[in-house]
This record gives sequence, C-alpha cells and structure tokens, in this order.
Amino acid sequence: MQRARINLQVTRRQLFGRAAGGIGATALASLLHGETPGAGPHFAPKAKRVIYLFQSGAPSQIETFDYKPLLKKLHGSELPDSIRQGQRLTGMTSTQASFPVAQPIFDFKQHGQSGAWVSSLLPHTAKAVDQLSFIKSMNTEAINHDPGVTFFQTGFQIAGRPSIGSWLDYGLGSENQDLPAFVVMVSQGTGRSADQPLYDRLWGSGFLPSKYQGVKFRSQGDPVLYLSNPEGISGGDRRQFIDDLAQLNRIKQDEFHDPEITTRIAQYEMAFKMQSSVPELTDVSKETAATFDLYGPESRKPGTFAANCLLARRLSERGVRFVQLFHRGWDHHTTLAPAIRGQCYDVDQASAALVQDLKERGLLDETLVVWGGEFGRTVYCQGKFTPEEYGRDHHPRCFSMWMAGGGIKPGVTYGETDDYSYNIVKDPVSVHDLHATLLHCLGIDHTKLTFKFQGRHFRLTDVHGRVVKDLLA
Amino acid sequence: MKFALLITTLFGTLSGAQQLEFNRDIRPILSDKCFFCHGPDQANRKSKLRLDTEAGAAYLDKRVFVERIKAEKPAMRMPPIYSGKTLSVGEIATLERWVAQGAQWEKHWSFVAPKRRTPPSVEMAGWVGNPIDSFVLARLEQNGLRPAQPSDRGRLLRRVTFDLTGLPPTPAEVDAFMADTTPGAYERVVDRLLKSSRFGERMAIRWLDAARYADTQGYQSDGERVMWRWRDWVIDAFNANKPYDQFLTEQLAGDLLPNARRDQIIATGFNRNHRGNSEGGIIPEEYAVEYVVDRVDTFSTVFLGLTAGCARCHDHKYDPLTQKEYYQLYAFFNNIGEWGRYVKYGNTPPYIAAPTKEQEKELTELEARHADARKKWEQTRPVVAQAEKRWAEEASKSNEGIEWMPGRALQTQMKLTGAEGRFDGKREISAGLQTGGFGYLDKFTVSLWMKPEAANGAVFARGKDTSEELGYGLYLISGKLQFHMTQRWLDDALRVETEQPLALNQWHHVTVRYDGTRLASGVHIYVDGKQAKLKTLLDMLNQSFFATAPFRIGGGSGMRFTGEIRDVRVFMAALHEEEIQSLAPRESVNEILAIAAPNRSEAQRAKLSAYFIQNVAAAQLRSAWSNAFALGEALTKLRESLPSVMVMQELPNRPDTHVLIRGAYDRPGAKVDRGVPAALPPLPASATVNRLALAKWLTAAEHPLTSRVAVNRMWQMVFGVGIVKTVEDFGSQGEWPSNPELLDWLATEFVRTGWDVKGMIKTMAMSSTYKQSSRASDELIARDPENRLLARGPRQRLAAEMVRDQALSAAGLLVEKTGGPSVKPYQPAGLWKELSNDGDYVADKGEGLYRRSLYTYWKRTIPPPFMMNFDSAGREACTVRETRTNTPLQALNLMNDVTYLEASRKLAERMMLEGGPDAGARIGYGFKLLLARAPSGREMEILRSSFDRARDRFQTKPGDAVALLKQGDSIVNGALDKTELAAYAHLASLILNLDEVVSKE
Repeated sequence: MQRARINLQVTRRQLFGRAAGGIGATALASLLHGETPGAGPHFAPKAKRVIYLFQSGAPSQIETFDYKPLLKKLHGSELPDSIRQGQRLTGMTSTQASFPVAQPIFDFKQHGQSGAWVSSLLPHTAKAVDQLSFIKSMNTEAINHDPGVTFFQTGFQIAGRPSIGSWLDYGLGSENQDLPAFVVMVSQGTGRSADQPLYDRLWGSGFLPSKYQGVKFRSQGDPVLYLSNPEGISGGDRRQFIDDLAQLNRIKQDEFHDPEITTRIAQYEMAFKMQSSVPELTDVSKETAATFDLYGPESRKPGTFAANCLLARRLSERGVRFVQLFHRGWDHHTTLAPAIRGQCYDVDQASAALVQDLKERGLLDETLVVWGGEFGRTVYCQGKFTPEEYGRDHHPRCFSMWMAGGGIKPGVTYGETDDYSYNIVKDPVSVHDLHATLLHCLGIDHTKLTFKFQGRHFRLTDVHGRVVKDLLA
Repeated sequence: MKFALLITTLFGTLSGAQQLEFNRDIRPILSDKCFFCHGPDQANRKSKLRLDTEAGAAYLDKRVFVERIKAEKPAMRMPPIYSGKTLSVGEIATLERWVAQGAQWEKHWSFVAPKRRTPPSVEMAGWVGNPIDSFVLARLEQNGLRPAQPSDRGRLLRRVTFDLTGLPPTPAEVDAFMADTTPGAYERVVDRLLKSSRFGERMAIRWLDAARYADTQGYQSDGERVMWRWRDWVIDAFNANKPYDQFLTEQLAGDLLPNARRDQIIATGFNRNHRGNSEGGIIPEEYAVEYVVDRVDTFSTVFLGLTAGCARCHDHKYDPLTQKEYYQLYAFFNNIGEWGRYVKYGNTPPYIAAPTKEQEKELTELEARHADARKKWEQTRPVVAQAEKRWAEEASKSNEGIEWMPGRALQTQMKLTGAEGRFDGKREISAGLQTGGFGYLDKFTVSLWMKPEAANGAVFARGKDTSEELGYGLYLISGKLQFHMTQRWLDDALRVETEQPLALNQWHHVTVRYDGTRLASGVHIYVDGKQAKLKTLLDMLNQSFFATAPFRIGGGSGMRFTGEIRDVRVFMAALHEEEIQSLAPRESVNEILAIAAPNRSEAQRAKLSAYFIQNVAAAQLRSAWSNAFALGEALTKLRESLPSVMVMQELPNRPDTHVLIRGAYDRPGAKVDRGVPAALPPLPASATVNRLALAKWLTAAEHPLTSRVAVNRMWQMVFGVGIVKTVEDFGSQGEWPSNPELLDWLATEFVRTGWDVKGMIKTMAMSSTYKQSSRASDELIARDPENRLLARGPRQRLAAEMVRDQALSAAGLLVEKTGGPSVKPYQPAGLWKELSNDGDYVADKGEGLYRRSLYTYWKRTIPPPFMMNFDSAGREACTVRETRTNTPLQALNLMNDVTYLEASRKLAERMMLEGGPDAGARIGYGFKLLLARAPSGREMEILRSSFDRARDRFQTKPGDAVALLKQGDSIVNGALDKTELAAYAHLASLILNLDEVVSKE
C-alpha cells in the first residue's frame, strides 16, 4: 500500500495533530511505523477502488428490478393490513383515504444466463445482468430523503459523521500521486427537474480531519474549485511563482523549524500538479468514438450522468479510490411513468457501459461498482390512480440495488420480497450490511476501521453490520 | 508502546520510581479498555467489579487482575477477544505497577471542584510575569527545559492583534508600538485591542461554531431562517464584557429572568440554532426529539465538556451519566411548544420580533405618532358624527345617485350582472390570469355577493379544475364555507371551515381575508359583514405556491356553483374589519340614505360613515381620519419588516418526559422528571426547577466543570491547543490536562474575577509564556511537537475567517460595520444551483463583498467554500475543537480565488501609492502591511527578483497585465501604470501566499 506523496509528507507534528483529532494510540503507533492512519487493509482486498452510482431521490424497485407478476391481478385492490403491518408511512400519504395497489406499466423479461428480471425501461442494464449482482432485499430505517441519503453516505441518519469515501481515504489512503482520493460528481435527471437537493456534507469528512472530505468535480467552471490560474497568469508564471514561494518559505522553515512549513511547500507542489492532472483527466477528446458509442449520445454532453460515468472510469484508471456519482431526479410521488422513463434513459446505457468498459480494460476485477438509491417506493399509489399519473411514496422496507466487479459474485440475485414488493421475506440486507460488505471487498474489517471522537471509537457501521458472504466472489 | 512512553516523557511523569497517578496514568487505560463492561453502563456490566466507582473498584482482586490481563490463554485474557480491545505491552506494565503501588482509586478529576494552588516557586523567577508563568515554568524546569526568548516586537504585536481582534495590525500601529519604549507599552496595546469592537467579532465567531449558528435550516431544501439578531447579541455581549455567568444564563434562560428584557429573550436563540427539518412527509414527533437532543448535546459539550449524547440510547459507557439522567436533562429543553416539522422558509415558532437599536427607535417614534393620531381622531369623532348626521339629513333629501365603494388596493372587480352572475351547476367563468395571482406570503381579500341554491359548489378558485390541486379557493361543502390554500393536499396546505352553514336561497355578502402569515389563524371569513367562527381543518402550509391556472368564479377543483354570484372584488391587501363591513351593504349610499336612520343596519351605517369621512367631511376632519389610518398602515408595515429571532419559552403545562428506549422517538420508557447527573453537585434549592435553575447550577462557584471548560476554550483560542486537548470531552475518555494545576488556577481565577472574560484573555496575553518567540529547534519540536509544554510561543495557521479578513484588511477593502443581516461575498458560480432547485447564489454588490467573514451567509448544506477549505466548523452541530489542516485545495484557493486576486490588486495599489518612491520601499511596505515587519535581506532579494521578472513579463505581454487586473468588482486605479500595477499585484499575491502570512507566529 502506497500513500501518495502528499500523505507521505505527513510530519511528526501532523501525526500528533491527528492524534489530537482523536486517533487511538494503536493507530498512532502504526502511523509511527509508517502505516496508514486507519491501519487498513486488514486482509487481502479484492477491490482497490469503488465507483458508486448513487440514484438520488429513490428509484422505484417495482418499475426496475423487483418483478412481481401478481401485481397485475392485485392492481386497484386495497393494500391489505396483513402486508402493511402497521408500518409507519410518511406524512405525505399517511392520511390518504385509500392505498390502492398499483402495478407497474412496464414489461419485465428475464435476461442473460442468470435469468435476472429487468424491466423494459433498462435495456442496456438488461444485457449486462450476468456481470451484476442484484440485492432485492435492501432496507433502511429512514423514510425521508435527507436522513435516507445521509444514512447511506455515513451510516447514520443525522448529519455529522464521515462519508464512506472519507472513511476509505482515512483507512486506505490514496493510490495516486496527483489527484484526490475521493471524487464526487453530480448530475441532474431529466425525469423530474425539480427534484430533491443534495448537500455538500454528503461527501463531508464529519469528525475526520477535513483533508478526507470528497472533492467535487464540476462540469461548469473549474472542475475543482479555484483550479485555474486567472487570466494573465500562464502555467509558466505559476511554476515560477511556486518556486519563489518555496524559496521564501524555506527561509522561514530554516528559522522556525515548524514542519507545517515543509508540508505547505509540498502542498503548493501538489496544487501545481493538480493544475495539469485534473484538466488532463477531464479532457475526453482522446476517447474513441467507440467509447462514446458505448456510453451513449449523452456522454458527449458535459455534466450528464453518462459523461460522469466516463469520467468515473478515467478517475478510477488513475487510481482514485472512491468515485461517487449522484444522479438526481428519482423522487416520483406523482406522474411516475414519464418521470422514470426519463431517469432510466439518463442512466441505463452509461451504467451498463461503465461495467463493460471496466471489464474490457481489465479493471472490473479491482473496481467495485455500486448502483442504487436511498430507499424504495410503495406498491400503493400516491396521488391519482391512472397509468400516466400514478405515483409512489417513499418505502424503506425493501428496495433493489446492484453491485458489480471487485470481490462481487456476478450473476447473482440475493434476497426476496413478498408478492407486493412490500416486505422482505428472505435475506434482508441493511444499509450497515451493505457498508460492511463494501468495506470487506476493499480488505477492511468494518469493526476495525475506527476513529476516536468524543471519547468513543466510531465506525462507519456504528455497532451494526454483517458482511453478506453470499454476494462475495 | 512508543506512544505511551512519549506522552509520559512529555509531561514528565513516568520515570521508574515515580508514583503513578490514577487519573492521569490509569483511568485512561481502564476507561478505554475496561469500562465498556466494568463501567457505568448497567446493561453491559458483566460482574460486580466496576472500575469507574470507588465501591465497584473495591471488588478488584489484585492477583486475579494481573493474572487476567496477562493471561496467555485467549479465553482467560482481559479484555476478552469479543470486545475487540487489547491492552498494549506498555499498558499492561503500567497497570501492573499500579497494582504494585497499591491500586489506589480516585474520583475522576473533572468531577471534583478545582483547587486553587499557590503558584509554584521556580528557579527563573525573573521570567515570571504572572501566575500562568509560574505553572508553565515549573513544568518546564521539571523537564529540564527553558522558555524561549521573547518574541520580537513586530511579531508579538501581530500575534496579539490577531488573537484579540482577528485582524492584523496596521503599519501605523506597528510604528507606534515600535516607537513606544516606555514601560507598559505592550499592556496598553492589549487594552486598546480589548476595547476595540473587533474583539467582540473575533470572540463571537468561535461561539457561533459552538452554537451551530447558520442562516439556513440545514435539512433538504435548506431554506433561509433569520437568526442574525442573536449573532449580533453575541458580538455585543463580548464587546460589553458581559460576565460569563450572565452570558451563559441569558442564553440558557433569558426568557425566565424576572422582567426579562427583549435582549435577554433574544439571547435564548442559542437553543434554537439547531437545524430544523421541513421536508414533506417527515414524522414531526421524530424530529421534535432530534431538536431537544441537539440542545442537550450542545449544552453538555459547550458548558459541561461532556459527551452526554452517548447516554441517549443507553447508560454512558465511560462517564457517570445514566440514560435516565440524560432524559432528566432533556426534560429542561422540551417544553417550548414547538412542532417537529419546521417552517421551510423563515422562522419557526416560538419567535419574537427583534428590532435593531435603530429600528427600536423608529418603532417607538412611530408608535407614539400613531397613538397621537389615534387620539386626535378619537377626539374628533363626536364632531364627525355631528357633521355626518347633519349631512345625512340634508343628503337624504336630494336624489342624486352616489356610486361609491371602498376601493383600497382593489385589483379586480367583476360585477356579473344579470345572466352573467347566474350559475347552473355547470358553467364557470374565468377572471383571467391577472387576477389573484397570490402566493402564501401575500395578503389579500376577496369579497362577493352570493345566493347559493345548492349546498355544495365552488365559489371561486385560483387553480386547476381538478380536485386537491395546488392553489386556493372558497367552496361550499355541505352548506358550510371552506377556504383552502394548497401546495400539496395532504401535508402542505391549510383549510378552514365556517362553523355554521350558510342559509340557502338567500343573499349573503361573503368576504375572505388572508393576512400572509401562512397560518390558518391568518384567514378570516366575514358573512354579511360579521366575522364568522371558523374551524381549522388543516394548518400545515409550508411552501409557497403559484397557481398557473386562472382565477375562476363559480368553479374550481372540479366543483360548480349553483345559484347567483355578483360583484366579485379582489383586493391586494388584508382589509380592516371596518372596511369589510362597509363592503357588505348591497345598497348604494343613496339607498342607505333613503332608509330612516334608526332602521339602518350596522353595515349600512359603516358604509355611510366610511363614505362620509373619506369623501364629504371637511378637510380637517378628513385628515384626522386619514392620518390615523396611514400611520396605522405604516406601523403594521414597519412591524412586519422587523427581523425576528427564534427563542425559547416555557409553557405552563409541561409535557411528560420519558426515557426513550434506544433513543427512539416512538419507544417511550419510564417517566422522568427534570434533574442533573448525580455525579455532579445538586441543583440549587430554588423554587422552580427550570432552565434558570439549570443556569444557576452551572454558574455556582463550586461547579467542577463550567469554569474549567470555559477557560480551556479560551486557552485553545490563544495557545492553539487546550490544556485539556479534548476541549469537548472532560470525561474519562478525554485527555488528561497537560497542566492540571494551571487549569485549576485559571478556572478559580475566572470565578474569583466575576467571570471576567476580557480579564481572563488579558491575563493570558500578558503572560511571559504568551510573549515567547515561536522559534524552535528541531529537537524541541521532536520532543514536544504540539507545544503542550510551552517552551516556545504559539505558531499556528490562522483560522479560516482570519485568512480572508487579513487579505481584505491589508488591501484596504475591508468594510467594518458591526452586525446586520448576513452578506454574500464572492463564491464560484453555480455551487447552489448544481445541488438544489432553490435558486443560485447571487453575490452581493458593493460592501457585502468586503465585510468580515463572520457575517458571511451560511447555507448549511452548501457552506462557503473559502471557509470550509480552511477548516471552518460546518455549523451542522456544535463544534468546539479548532482544527487545522494543510491541503493543496488551500493553496489553489489562495492563489486563484477572486477574493485574493482582487486583494492582491488593491494591495498593489497601496504599495504604489503609499509605499514610497522605489520598488524596494514599496515591496517592503506590502510586506509590512501583512507581517508587521520588514523583509530580511535574503527575503528582499527573492521578492525583488520575482517582482522584476513579473514586470518584464508583463511588459512583453501588456495584455496579460490588463487581464490580471480585471479580477474583482472594485475599480482599477486608472492613474497607475498597468504593467507596474500587475507586477505589484503578482508580488502581493506571492506575499499573501506565504506561510508566515497565513500563520500566527
């Protein structure tokens, strides 16, 4: 495990500074022995990197992957109490007069050798099913977006804890020399333009030092904030500037011996490197037409989910540990059908292409790809009960996700829901379980990746989590 | 174990024979490795052996203890494998020695009241400036260290100016200090800085971090709230040097003080700064719990230095705080009558109007003028009545038609005569899109005449013609009038209904008035000029709406009216009751006049009077009325424009508080009453157990935590690291104080001086310890990397806000103005828009760009990047620990952000205009503006050659110079040569990026 230069520049003062942040004595000792702060990996990892395709707003499992043939028959019938089981509903539908079961208006077929069911909305994903591993039995504790996404990102519904990417950066360090270890990109769905917002803290470092926070790559302006030199200052000027600055800072270092000064000199070097490495990364002009064809026409438009998928591959190729895409627009309380058509169009081809592209480049084995939202949607209709106007409310009790690549067994479907896609009847997977499994693929024992804060040894999985062994290759 | 050895060497404790101290050496090990099962958490306790209490520790069998921690067999070894915890070799050795020395147990140090010790005697007595130095020096001497040389004066001036005001000294201040060689020069500087209003701003920002202050709600859409009046209260409190006990009491319980003043109530905003969730569909009870939890956690962290939050779900694993005690604290903070679903945009009740001093003055004046005018009008009334009577008698004789109606703020009138006003249960008519396009904050009134012939139908509506649509409307439902305002039918709407049905087949005058408060209580319905009693069906309107469908009459929501509707009027104001009354009569003024005076109805009389005073009365009488009316309107307008602030209140009927099992809102356990943890002193025997009693408890002189926690935070501000480094945790898992005697001296001194904050800061700044140079040898840095022993002065990167404020100040851009609404300085475009739909960030023009960073608008979910890059607290939850990282993003920020590029240009102008005749002098001046010193010879050489190169470069490419100078909104000084100016700007940017510039040294 090689930490990037920037992290190798860790000075003794920083070590202790970090201990100040609360690292336990053991971690500190391992730091002194030249290991990484989180002291991972704990065993041989299968995956080195993660690309997480977060579908923000919560896609309906009923229109995508969780095929329920009986719904055709049940369509229009009242959701039985035996199924609802007094489960709490959101304030948006809890006072609704009736809860009619709504069938999906899209067809389902089985695909590939694995025979996975996929709806007609996702033709490209359907072709890739043998590379994917589906979880039909995801469940969460949150029933609203903010706590729901926060729970997925940090293992806790209330904001304040580090995000998955920060934990990984802290635990494993960076694999590359001139890019951040944790990169985030966001895109706006075409299915529902005024959808749920996102928050910077979703990729924040919580109580971990802020250097572990995700860096958002943007499609407008500078890809990384303040990256470009102002007009009138060339790359050569900047080089000279940093050299002059280093000379002056070295005088200071000779006089005061503060190791922070040496670190600062190194960080200006790193900044200078990023000024060329980031534009090189975001410049897709050398990608072949075949690649663009693979990812689909949207991949030529900067800022789309498809373009971000292509960038995710480029980041992953360059050793960026955790790349997370957020695609907004999945919150379909009403007029679900047209909205989900748009959303699926946005993500279907590029998600499948990413898996295939990684495979063709020999990277899929070491890259874990995760696809899913923050919860599922209700089988009962919210709003007007017509084919084009029906909608679905939030449903935490079951939803579907898929994973592929590093460490994951391909072509598997895990877990099962009842005929209504309302309750899990087999092999539930909690958000903590998903986190534990994800960390496991990266060689981390989720119970051992800890950080002491406010007197407590915190984990991504809090005091929960179980590695889902059946999903592992 | 290296770590243990290192720490102990550092604090000069562990040398072979030395006696171990339980709290310093043993408790941290037991707490971290053993308390989990042998500690406070009852549910987890595995045996009678309890290492956190004296009684429990009595069960310790020394032989077995050593055997078990050293056991070879995993099944025998403590801690057990399943705990995931292991003792290091060093820890085992330490525990063994502790047992050998008799296994003495002591109560956790921070739960015992601080003891004031006489400052120890020291060898280098001449170095001691005040008692702080005796404690520090004694420790240094124990460790064979000597203090550093005093800092040179320029650096010291810069250090203390930053620490006390958050800004660098001006060159004039530097010169004055350098020139003043008389005794007391430094003290005079300290006093000057403490008197400056910048002191309050500097102190306030750390308090805002602790109090999680922000300008938005913090969840999902993250709408705006208004809390800046509380922020300004904090600044004022620091500037007035409000004693810390009062500072604390007013924030915790200002509303409960006898005859509480408005500013004392504003102070309680402290407990309302937490985030508030307004997301559609949340379960309000769930979030109502989260808010109280946030209050308890913040209270514990800020005032007690305890991590109480751990006890929300179970007994604390490390500290003597049971789950029951957690909910006893909780019970102090859950009686404000709030609803878990917060208002999306704006303040959530309870809140109060919080005028600024200027507004308060304006308000008092206007109230007086209004009262005066009202009085005059009241006095004039009998005269008016006489005049009206005479006129009416006269006028009733003539037969002239008087077509008059009250017309204030009339937007649309549709008379609907004849068949036009006849509705058959099928037809409806449109008043167009220009009518009634109101949102939830708009005031409006709609009046009409109607004769219903069926008990159900739509009277008017703005919105689509389908049920449960977005918009508003008046409906007849089973004969009763229902008024709806709807964003989302089930959970974002308000609906009211008249208690009594309307008589069918009769004419009624109906008026609906809405006052823009988005509350059901803001809707009034008048029938025949009389206010109808209303029943609230739903009161959950939380988001604005704009119906794109036209204003309909006789239809809406798929319903139709049967009967007649006439004379529909839509007003863009919430009309007064008298106005509404005067709308009610169908009869014209003439027709009313024709009725014999005693037979006129109340409404008819009202209309007549309104007509008379507004149209007929003598100018003097008329102006008495219009004056009072206009001032009333002005007063309402002013009141509505006042900033408000969310505050605490104590309701008379307290809800029961229960332990929440596993902390879950929907799993109440045993009922508990208010109380404080048993491990701490008892509450004062006061009459009422409320937040005020809690404040009294905290500020009692013998409270072991309050003063220690407060002075420790101040120490962190000044010296970079707290004496207890875990400033948020004084419990078992917190760090042992680097100098316990010093901490206790400071804590008792703080109380002794009447909780004098400025005094305490001054004591720290006046110490020789503080005044040391921060130069250090590699050896000393290796030995004491964090400077806990203080054998040198503090050196640390500046806090986020100081980095920016310094640049603005040195560039002459800083606009100094204390308080006011938050401002929006530069921020890269699109940051808000790419994450949410609530509009983009629009930077201010003019002074808003250049205010101190403490006033920057803080959107919680997308905080200002220039602050977050430099380790600012995120303001989501209480943060008291200051952190500093060192990252490439900071480098990019300083080099390329328009803020710093513009500052470089303005700094360059200052160098050219004020710096002197030649490049050397000018460069030196720029350097001094930021560093309060002149560059050394070698530094000057590098600066000079950098400048020369830049000048040559811009001379060859003057276009680049022009381009570089374009950064920022401020005007470029056209009188200066552009190439020169660009070269100086380049140099200024270089200086702004220096390590020393972004550091306190």
